[in-house]
Amino acid sequence: MPDKRILEMKGIEIQFPGVKALDKVDFDLIAGEVHALLGENGAGKSTLIKCLTGVHHMDKGQILYDGKEITPTSPQAAIAMGISTVFQEINLCQNLTVAENIFVGRQPMKRGKRIDWKAINRRAEELLLRFNIHIDVTRPLDYYSTGIQQMVSIARAVDVRAKILILDEPTSSLDEKEVERLFDVMRDLKKTGMGIIFITHFLDQVFAISDRMTVLRNGHLVGNFLTDQISKIELVRQMIGKDMDVIFALKRPTVAEGAPETLKVENLGIAGRVENVSFSLRKGELIGFAGLLGSGRTETAEMVFGVTRADHGAIEINEKPARIRIPVDAIQHKMAFCPEDRKRDGIIGDLSVRENIALVVQSRRGALKPMSPKEQLDLADKYITMLGIATPDADKKVGELSGGNQQKVILARWMATQPEILILDEPTRGIDVGAKAEIQRLMLELCGQGVSVLFISSELDEILRCSNRVIVMRDRCKAGELPGETSRQEDILQVIAEGSSLEEDA
Amino acid sequence: MKTKFDFSRIMKSKITWAVIAELMILLVCLIIRPEFFQISYQESTGMLYGSLIDILNRSSEITIIALGMTLVIALAGTDLSVGALVALSGAMALKLMRWDMSEFPTAGDYSITPMFWVILVALGICALFGSFNGLMIARFGMQPIIATLVLMVAGRGVAQIITNGRQMTTNFAAFKFISQGSVLFLPMPIIITVVIFILMSLLTRKTAFGMFVESVGINPNASRVSGLRSSLIIFTAYLITGLLSGVSGLIYASRIGQNDSNNAGINYELDAILAVVIGGTSMSGGKFSLTGTVIGSIIIRTIITFVYYFGVAAEATMVFRALIVVVVIVLQSEPVREFMGKRRTMRKVAMGGELHG
Repeated sequence: MPDKRILEMKGIEIQFPGVKALDKVDFDLIAGEVHALLGENGAGKSTLIKCLTGVHHMDKGQILYDGKEITPTSPQAAIAMGISTVFQEINLCQNLTVAENIFVGRQPMKRGKRIDWKAINRRAEELLLRFNIHIDVTRPLDYYSTGIQQMVSIARAVDVRAKILILDEPTSSLDEKEVERLFDVMRDLKKTGMGIIFITHFLDQVFAISDRMTVLRNGHLVGNFLTDQISKIELVRQMIGKDMDVIFALKRPTVAEGAPETLKVENLGIAGRVENVSFSLRKGELIGFAGLLGSGRTETAEMVFGVTRADHGAIEINEKPARIRIPVDAIQHKMAFCPEDRKRDGIIGDLSVRENIALVVQSRRGALKPMSPKEQLDLADKYITMLGIATPDADKKVGELSGGNQQKVILARWMATQPEILILDEPTRGIDVGAKAEIQRLMLELCGQGVSVLFISSELDEILRCSNRVIVMRDRCKAGELPGETSRQEDILQVIAEGSSLEEDA
Repeated sequence: MKTKFDFSRIMKSKITWAVIAELMILLVCLIIRPEFFQISYQESTGMLYGSLIDILNRSSEITIIALGMTLVIALAGTDLSVGALVALSGAMALKLMRWDMSEFPTAGDYSITPMFWVILVALGICALFGSFNGLMIARFGMQPIIATLVLMVAGRGVAQIITNGRQMTTNFAAFKFISQGSVLFLPMPIIITVVIFILMSLLTRKTAFGMFVESVGINPNASRVSGLRSSLIIFTAYLITGLLSGVSGLIYASRIGQNDSNNAGINYELDAILAVVIGGTSMSGGKFSLTGTVIGSIIIRTIITFVYYFGVAAEATMVFRALIVVVVIVLQSEPVREFMGKRRTMRKVAMGGELHG
């Protein structure tokens, strides 16, 4: 069968406030192929998909679907045309049954406009059998594990009789067996002539299932490669680009001999969330926290900073016991915390860059000793220059900046308080490579100035490159501690994997 | 340069449209009856008179409450108890002035409690009830609507208990001065409103309190992580609103010269909320504008005055009011502002001007 292009996107451009999200990106999809869409966080993968599914509107460019030009206006319109999407987050109703979830909005009807429940349940069962899933479809969705739920959402998308199936990070909540099952289904679907766009962070999976791949970087198209003609190393180079040199030039901090302990955490925990975490941090030292999502990294950071209150254990700061119940206490002890979820816990979107940067300094001074607008402005301008925050002026709303710049604003907010202990939870997630390298450089620079840094990241190479020591979390406990300099990724993975069999039914 | 920038932002804001709406209503008045705008000076009272003065005077009760409500709404809350507190404040004041009617059966120019204590206790009890709201919401995490609904109902009950369910009247001159007196040719309520407006502006803009309120209103989680004591901020906002309801209650009671637990402050919570919303503060919290709130309250009063002045049939007044409010709110709505903004931008571009942004 000759290659039949079912989808062609040409010269797509999308402008967001302050940033060009996509710049002249081309993409095409052949019937019956799995096409991986790759790139770092913030490269524009999701934006491209959202453009195709009518969530975002393109400023320039053309989309040809089955040879005809289309302009998707809403996700519903895209679905009606046969473009189905499964997102990473499960967009289903937890309290409806599995069958209802699959058919909601397009229930088979009996005569007289009554829902045909038998047909719903029967067809749902048949559909799931294709995925090799044998479950009771009349149970509510939340009865089942996240893995099963993800499969149900895929089943729902497939049943829409789609010509194009988009899978946006579908495997992040699946275990190995479930991934294999999903791949089987994908291979089946390929045979029926469906084109599948597959977005993932797991490169092994890309090489296992995809036929072709398109790489994006910073909103630009890097290239289009056949899977069997590119090596993994080469692919990573394409994804990261020339900024790799900058990253490789970074040096981990050197901790002075006999540097004092600034933070000591002993058996700290919250029953059921994270338990018995102990570690210490010296002046000017950087320790990395590695572990899978949900392993207790973020929980530990939040506990140390008082975002959540520990119910056992003790914290010592500068060798004196410290009671930290709320963030205010932590700030009094010269701690700073850049949270993982920037939108939820970090930026005050509608306030200006200036106010956002001044916020913590001001909260420490108290409401009655206000900074004058001039003082705020000077402070903001100082950090805008120092961190290279890309904003037209200090009075721009923070919510309108790009992710990387928002992250820098949060960093500025805390740097302005001259902290001694800095906790960074995934500071480089979801921002472009350039900003990423800058934030790493900054973090190391602060260590050089004597700040102790606790650095949480999912990217092991980043952790290994910067940390003096690496603490590995697993199953809400500390699983091990490794020296940063001499460890390899495999060593960390080893520690993570050792106990993974225990996690089976978690 | 700084003020210039703010000015241009104000021009694009909802407040502009509130002002335009107000001007349009006044324009209609001007066309129908130019004498609406007459202002005269009466030597015997030393006060200015006229419909415009009247609008300002009569809007005081709502404006004062709405200034507190602005903070509450900026914190993504609501306070339904303000009307009840107006009744409570009046009841308390009358109780203190007359204590027991059987001893002093006739209303006269007297009070058995010094004026200072009358005001202090009446305001104190409202501040106390306001802080009860604050405590329920900030400390115990109750939904603002539910928490303040408690006092909305119970407040009038307390007012009834204080006065044994009786209506008392006073002609005590010092108390009447609150509503009838004048300073600088202006009725006292206007003066009180201006003073409170200035105090609130100082509180929110000359301290960091305003920024903290906005910050907590926009993103409570992030504010907490940034070391803001959000419960304290929320608590303070409800306390202030309670206190200001008390002030409003004193003005009202002074105006009618009696306590009226059943009718005093009826629907004030709705008018106050409406004033805040017309003033450009979003019900979902965040940025707020005290000036906007004042304008919103004046609009509401203008509409009421308009209705009375032009003799709209009594049974139609409510509907008529609602109609105008709808028009104002639609004028301010996102699509309309966007549409008008676009037209302005297009014109600017056509003139070779710079894009507004």
